[in-house]
Amino acid sequence: MQALAAAPAASALLAQQPAAAPAQPATNPDDLPKLDFSVADEGGDPIQSFFNPRQAAALRRLCELMLPIAALNAKVPEFMDFMIGRAPTDRQQIWLSGLDALNYQSETRFQKSFADISDAQADALLAPIREPWTYDVPGDPVGRLLRAAKADIRLATFNSLELHISAAGGKRPRGQGQLYWLPIE
Amino acid sequence: MAATNYDVLIIGSGASGGMAAYTLTKKGIKCLMLDAGPPVDFDRNRVQKQSFELPFRGLGDPSRLPHVFQANEYNANQWVDEKEVPYTHDPSEPYNWVRVRLIGGKTLFWARMSFRLSDYEFKGKDHDGFGDNWPISYADLAPYYDQVEPIFRVRGRKEGFKQLPDGVFIEDITADSPATQRFTAQAKKRDIPVTKMRSSTGRGQLASSFNLLLPDAMATGNLTIVPNAVVREITVDKNTGLANGVNFLDRQSHREMHAKARVVVVGASCLESTRLLLNSGIANSSGVLGHYLHDQFYITNCVQGVIPEVRDKKAPANFTGGGGYIPRFRNLQRKEKDFLRGYAFDFSSGGTPDPKYFPLYGNALEEALAKHLGTGFTGTCMGEVLPRFENHVRINKDVKDAWGIPVLHFQVRYGSNEFNMAKDAINTMSELIHDCGWEVLARHDQMLPPGYSIHELGTCRMGENPKTSVLNKWNQSWDVKNLFVVDGSSFVTGGSQNPTMTILSLSMRASEYLAEQMRKGDL
Repeated sequence: MQALAAAPAASALLAQQPAAAPAQPATNPDDLPKLDFSVADEGGDPIQSFFNPRQAAALRRLCELMLPIAALNAKVPEFMDFMIGRAPTDRQQIWLSGLDALNYQSETRFQKSFADISDAQADALLAPIREPWTYDVPGDPVGRLLRAAKADIRLATFNSLELHISAAGGKRPRGQGQLYWLPIE
Repeated sequence: MAATNYDVLIIGSGASGGMAAYTLTKKGIKCLMLDAGPPVDFDRNRVQKQSFELPFRGLGDPSRLPHVFQANEYNANQWVDEKEVPYTHDPSEPYNWVRVRLIGGKTLFWARMSFRLSDYEFKGKDHDGFGDNWPISYADLAPYYDQVEPIFRVRGRKEGFKQLPDGVFIEDITADSPATQRFTAQAKKRDIPVTKMRSSTGRGQLASSFNLLLPDAMATGNLTIVPNAVVREITVDKNTGLANGVNFLDRQSHREMHAKARVVVVGASCLESTRLLLNSGIANSSGVLGHYLHDQFYITNCVQGVIPEVRDKKAPANFTGGGGYIPRFRNLQRKEKDFLRGYAFDFSSGGTPDPKYFPLYGNALEEALAKHLGTGFTGTCMGEVLPRFENHVRINKDVKDAWGIPVLHFQVRYGSNEFNMAKDAINTMSELIHDCGWEVLARHDQMLPPGYSIHELGTCRMGENPKTSVLNKWNQSWDVKNLFVVDGSSFVTGGSQNPTMTILSLSMRASEYLAEQMRKGDL
């Protein structure tokens, strides 16, 4: 095909033809098939089980603030419920105490839960995120939560199936990705 | 089938074990190599995956590998599982022990930075009075560096630095980017040297024992490799006091075996080698086995700079890119700071600063990241850690690994010398960035816990005196004459240079000595 396309007359002829269907590799019925599998996110919706309803609502609001629209489209609150539910206790505590602290501060200052306050009100509660970054872990529960949430929510969003589909124009992208090491027997 | 009586039994297949096999087998010596891990099948063990195809979206399984900061979800399975091979430490003194148990060891995944030590390290005590000299000098090891570098195809630029001797390089003639040129010029004004990175280019995808050493050794017909062989202890003949083999377990079945050999060479990686000797109860008449553990402290991205002219894509695309290396420059001519020894940097430009450095969130953060696309200039500090007796490992008999072998307990902490050095490093890098007319977005001198650099060294050190060292100047045990330890555990000091070239060279040197002793019938 390359040699054919290199000839001017042939390339002009090819240009006039209707677009061909994607090339299908020649298959031998005796070969083992290579099927195109999907992932769990295309097959169902996550079931939340770790955060209580107030914490889950606060997490949903936090995701919405961190990455408007994209994080919720990528079902990041549900994904973080799964991740943190599987994490060691100290990491779980960062999220549990941080979300509880956000709700407490919100109710104290604005008489509403964190899920129900305005963007401007939320911005006041997210003040610790404006502190310069250091290795030192913030001392207050909200600061600790925001340190973790900022990184995790971004990564969970940008690595999601939904964002990849959106970036690929509506279809699940197929292809290279990165090298993944399987468990070695 | 009866097991063969081998001339030399080599434990470990990484840089040091691989080089021992490479050197000994070429001299006609029959070697058996045992490694605790399986061989890698690169076609079977790796697949291409998109991030959304990973079980944890690339965030990693939160329930595993708490100490291995280098692990991500793509490569998590290449590291040793800490639940299978645990270790202990006081909660206030964390240590990151990062291990690989595969044929080829850590050389399958190393960063390939390839430097020589100098007499500032080998004769450090002569220079500043601290600690001990090595029992060898740079001149003793230089001929072996000369042989190792062509095998690993080290690329670099010759400079004539006394503190970072030149090697047998593939000359790096690539042009520096304008950003690197400006940085280099400003550093020069402060008498701070800058050079190209020196790295092993290897062959194909790898610069590893797996493809550069073991195939040649096997081609001699003198090497037998047994993977999945977890060595429990070195056995000693009670009559002669000499090592006569090892007891090992099959990794999968846990079947116990005994292998025999005239000589045992240990290259199981620094701390696994020391753990093996401690569990075997040998080679410790000095009482220093396990002590003087040191490494290099790392502060990755210790200063995050921003190159303003790149903001909003104003500068040409090739303005940034690439990077370089700053070798140690402190305390070379005189004591000039509130710390001994020195540190090195590697640096690079053209990346986008991590979102964590921007005190923003939401759309404001995304806009800032877009504005700063490719504007980053960052340096990683690598500082020499002083070898101190009190920093040590010992056996914790109360905790055992999956094969019932007692684990190591770590008692290690950095001291004021390291902390003062880190502060100076961060101040210096910040000043250099300002000298260039660039901005400092973030800076920090907080180190990650010891071990993070994966350059653990010492604990089975060489020396002139059997009362204060475990090995003589040939990496040979003072106590057990037919026992050699050829990996990073033999280091007396580590400098700020990545150690792999030195480990390879020491192993080659020790192996040549061993071969000669065997030829003469002395072993």
